Amino acid sequence: MKELRTLIRECDLSKPRVALAILTGSAALGSAVGLSAVAAWMIARAAGMPSPADLAIAAVVVRFFGIGRGLFRYLERLVSHDAALRGVVALRARVYERLAAAPADSVLSLRRGDTLARIGADVDAVGDAVVRGVIPLGVAFVVSGVAVGINAWMDPAAGIILAVALAVAAFGAAGLTWRAARLAAERSVTADARVTEAVMSSLDGAAEHRVWGTAQEAHEALQDADRDAVSSQEQSARPAAFAAALQTLCAGAALVGCVWVAVKGAHYGEYGPTTAAIIALLPLAAFEGVNGVPGAVTQLFRSQKAAQRIVAMAPNTDSRGVSTQPAEPDSAEPGLLTVRLTELQAAWPEMTPTVPITASVGPGQILAIVGRSGVGKTTVLTTIAGALAPHAGTVDIHGEGAHTVPAERVGTDVGMTAEDAHIFGTSVMENLRVARGDVTEDQAAEVLELVGLSSWIAGLPDGLDTVLGTGGNSVSGGERRRLLLARASLTTQPVILIDEPAEHLDEAGRTALRAVLQHLSAHNRTVVIVTHHLELTDLATEVVSLDA
Amino acid sequence: MRPLDPRLAGRIGPARRYIVTTALLGFFTALLIGVQALVLARVLAPVLAPGPLTDDGLGPLGFVVPLEARQLSVALAWLILVVGLRVVVTWVQERLAHRAGAQVIAELREQVVSHATALGPRWIASGEGTAVATTVTRGLESLMPYFVRYLPQLLLSVTVTPVMMVVVLGLDWISALIVIGTVPLIPIFMILIGLVTRERSAKHLDAMQRLASRTLDLIEGLPTLRALGRERGPAARVRELGDAQRRATMGSLRIAFMSGMALELLTTLSVALVAVTLGFRLVDGNVSIETALAVLILAPEVYLPLRMVGTHFHASADGLAAADAAFEVLEIPVEDSTGKPAAPSLHGASLVIEDLSVATPDGRRLAPARLNTVIRPGTVTALVGPNGDGKSTALASLMGLLPADSGFVAALTEHGRTDTIDVDLATWSTQFAWAPQRPDLGPEGRTLSLGQRQRVALDRAFASARPVLVLDEPTSHLDRAHRDQVITRIVAAAQSGTTVVVATHEPELIAAADVVVDVTAMEVAR
Repeated sequence: MKELRTLIRECDLSKPRVALAILTGSAALGSAVGLSAVAAWMIARAAGMPSPADLAIAAVVVRFFGIGRGLFRYLERLVSHDAALRGVVALRARVYERLAAAPADSVLSLRRGDTLARIGADVDAVGDAVVRGVIPLGVAFVVSGVAVGINAWMDPAAGIILAVALAVAAFGAAGLTWRAARLAAERSVTADARVTEAVMSSLDGAAEHRVWGTAQEAHEALQDADRDAVSSQEQSARPAAFAAALQTLCAGAALVGCVWVAVKGAHYGEYGPTTAAIIALLPLAAFEGVNGVPGAVTQLFRSQKAAQRIVAMAPNTDSRGVSTQPAEPDSAEPGLLTVRLTELQAAWPEMTPTVPITASVGPGQILAIVGRSGVGKTTVLTTIAGALAPHAGTVDIHGEGAHTVPAERVGTDVGMTAEDAHIFGTSVMENLRVARGDVTEDQAAEVLELVGLSSWIAGLPDGLDTVLGTGGNSVSGGERRRLLLARASLTTQPVILIDEPAEHLDEAGRTALRAVLQHLSAHNRTVVIVTHHLELTDLATEVVSLDA
Repeated sequence: MRPLDPRLAGRIGPARRYIVTTALLGFFTALLIGVQALVLARVLAPVLAPGPLTDDGLGPLGFVVPLEARQLSVALAWLILVVGLRVVVTWVQERLAHRAGAQVIAELREQVVSHATALGPRWIASGEGTAVATTVTRGLESLMPYFVRYLPQLLLSVTVTPVMMVVVLGLDWISALIVIGTVPLIPIFMILIGLVTRERSAKHLDAMQRLASRTLDLIEGLPTLRALGRERGPAARVRELGDAQRRATMGSLRIAFMSGMALELLTTLSVALVAVTLGFRLVDGNVSIETALAVLILAPEVYLPLRMVGTHFHASADGLAAADAAFEVLEIPVEDSTGKPAAPSLHGASLVIEDLSVATPDGRRLAPARLNTVIRPGTVTALVGPNGDGKSTALASLMGLLPADSGFVAALTEHGRTDTIDVDLATWSTQFAWAPQRPDLGPEGRTLSLGQRQRVALDRAFASARPVLVLDEPTSHLDRAHRDQVITRIVAAAQSGTTVVVATHEPELIAAADVVVDVTAMEVAR
């Protein structure tokens, strides 16, 4: 629970709001307990046939509790959701800041997998921990306490019975539910992953299965995986069933115990019929808070998992201090830098290092890195960007005054366009301004012309202001590539790294790439490009191969 | 949205069985709760009554629990028995719920996946494929809370609630009138509030989702921003969007929670009314203490399932939406070619592509557009052209995987011409040895790199003795040495009499081909 606690702390939750939520929630459930107690008193009192006036106050109180439950519950839900949403907004910004400040290697490797896509849901899950976890537990505690208090005040024995039953119901169910959730989580990494794999194989390979006649096998693999999933699901659900049974048992035991105490107490004249009725009937209403415990525990477990993912992705970087990097890098003429690679070998942990390469590229020059697929071209580029420490050898980036650029250089002195760089769901113009904040319409038109997208833009409903990625304005693979190239040619960094996807690049894409490379070298940039296309290498001042 | 999708019960065996058993268990639970209330009334009545009790205060229901239960020991024995049975029922119900949920999900998943594969590659590739994958994996998981939490409560509300109403009627008709009067108000109020607030909440929901997706977009683009040194600015934007989203969300919640409030208000207030009425009638001596106690204990039980249905409503909405998405897929009709005559052997046959056009999934373009060629046995035919102009689609049509929007694919044999639309497609498709662009190769294949998979797929295609070899970009992901080797094998296969069709950008492979066909696309005139 460490991660969840840390993140909830980062939500900057307002304590008064949470307290208010617990208070109103307890008032709501407390109304039910109160209703039950006062109604029991009233019936018991009425049985003695007093004058109707003796019941008047009780009748009013009963009606008040009748209304109070709905009203307080509404207030509680509003207050708790408001508090949690404020927390989620704060946390989202914090996570963004954490990610933005995290070391470049961890941020740049986030593109793999769906971790980033899941972060929104994960942050929401931390918020849910408050609304559906912490607050219901608080309410359960307060309401149970009130019920125990009422009974204990009338008869300590009844108070003890109710307290023990409530405690067993709460803690026992919590433990069992936690266990069920853990088993289910373990299951999801094995059985569910197998199911997903079988589903993907059936669907993605549908055409292949048809041609090769393997559809039946694929379906059997899915059935097999499903059978596994069902049986492991059953196993993980066992503790949850015990939890539900335990809660019914505890509520029943409390009822039996309290009836026994109440009837005995009344029999020996320790108290009157009204007290006996309250003691005996209170357990019927007292367990509603505790019954919410399994749900709350399940939510806490889920939120904890989400918190672990968030913390793993965006480790706390407070110790690094606030970066001095300006929010808007100036768009003045970039300085001139030379990149020198000496016997450079690159590798992610546990990866075979690339063969050593030595090369030098200065302003206005282009270094092309070629090699067969999977040889580590992108890894070399990431190393040059400074997001990954060299496995061996050195990367030396220095200016004319021989000052050397520090390792943390990506984004400041080095701009990188990845193979799968993001196109934002905003206008074409804003997508270009990702490279530089002050791009004018004329400049935008110029680079779009350069990459051959002018006619595409002309065909869009709102031209440069067309919002991409929504409705019909989807971007094809080729257009996306060229838009990224247009963005790359607007960057301000002196050193530009371009990771060009090798596969399926069509003629227009190749033309655009040539144009952008020429444009960049004409503007005295230092360009390093990773490519499969040997025919592009005529533009390069130097070509190094990673093939052994 | 309907609380219970009839298709679930109709088509999914485990769902039907579960609904029946849960309804029976619910009925049994109702009886136990009724007995428990009557026992409590019996044992507490002597304590509360001012004088000794003579006659049976429970009226027509007095036979259920004997008068001896007025003694503490007898009553406690009864209570312990009832509690024991309730514990067992709860446990059985929970076990059944989880098992049934898992079985229903598995069954639905298998049906949807096999239906989707029957619908064919075009349907899967049209973007529906990814949606189906999400639906049958993560989506259907939300049926679990539906089956475990929501459905039992729903069934309790149609078993326990009516049974309790009958029991209360048997005890005291005035209290029964109050209950019978208020219970129908609950759905009426919920529907009214829903109708009044629908438009506003839809508007809020829309704004909420828009803001959420924009925030996510910023986070997803973070590596890109970072790579260009532009990651600092948007933090403020994230906060701003978040605050706007919170306001929109709270706006929608203020409305959404209103129906919840109405539900709680009606149910609790009704219980209060029953209690107060009973109190005054007791004073007047119009009702027996035993009856009053029993009704007081039973009144909340009438409403409890209704309240729980409201609480678990979200589980219902998500689960039903997932089931709905699954059934939507199942209801798309499949074009079936089984029963048509078998395709002729394609050994030595020429394949004719005539005026073939296939529309892209968005319907904006034809790719390929009006493609014509004859593919002869023993030759290498290369389809060339820009990306997205329909080379792979043309290959899929050739293999009978995709129906043409216009034009024909046919085989010319010594027996004459046979069109694909006239044959059982399974017997046609299985005569092709196909190495696709991104071969799947089943779960084992997923551990290989793209280049390795490509090589395995090529080996499989070359090794099969099928009459037609179809290779989609066979040289991509390969280094020079492998590329040359593949081209040699392609030429050798053609020389041995196999019909070879490739889609490629590779100049050397194009040079090695006997026939080069330009595949072009066309915008659809609007």
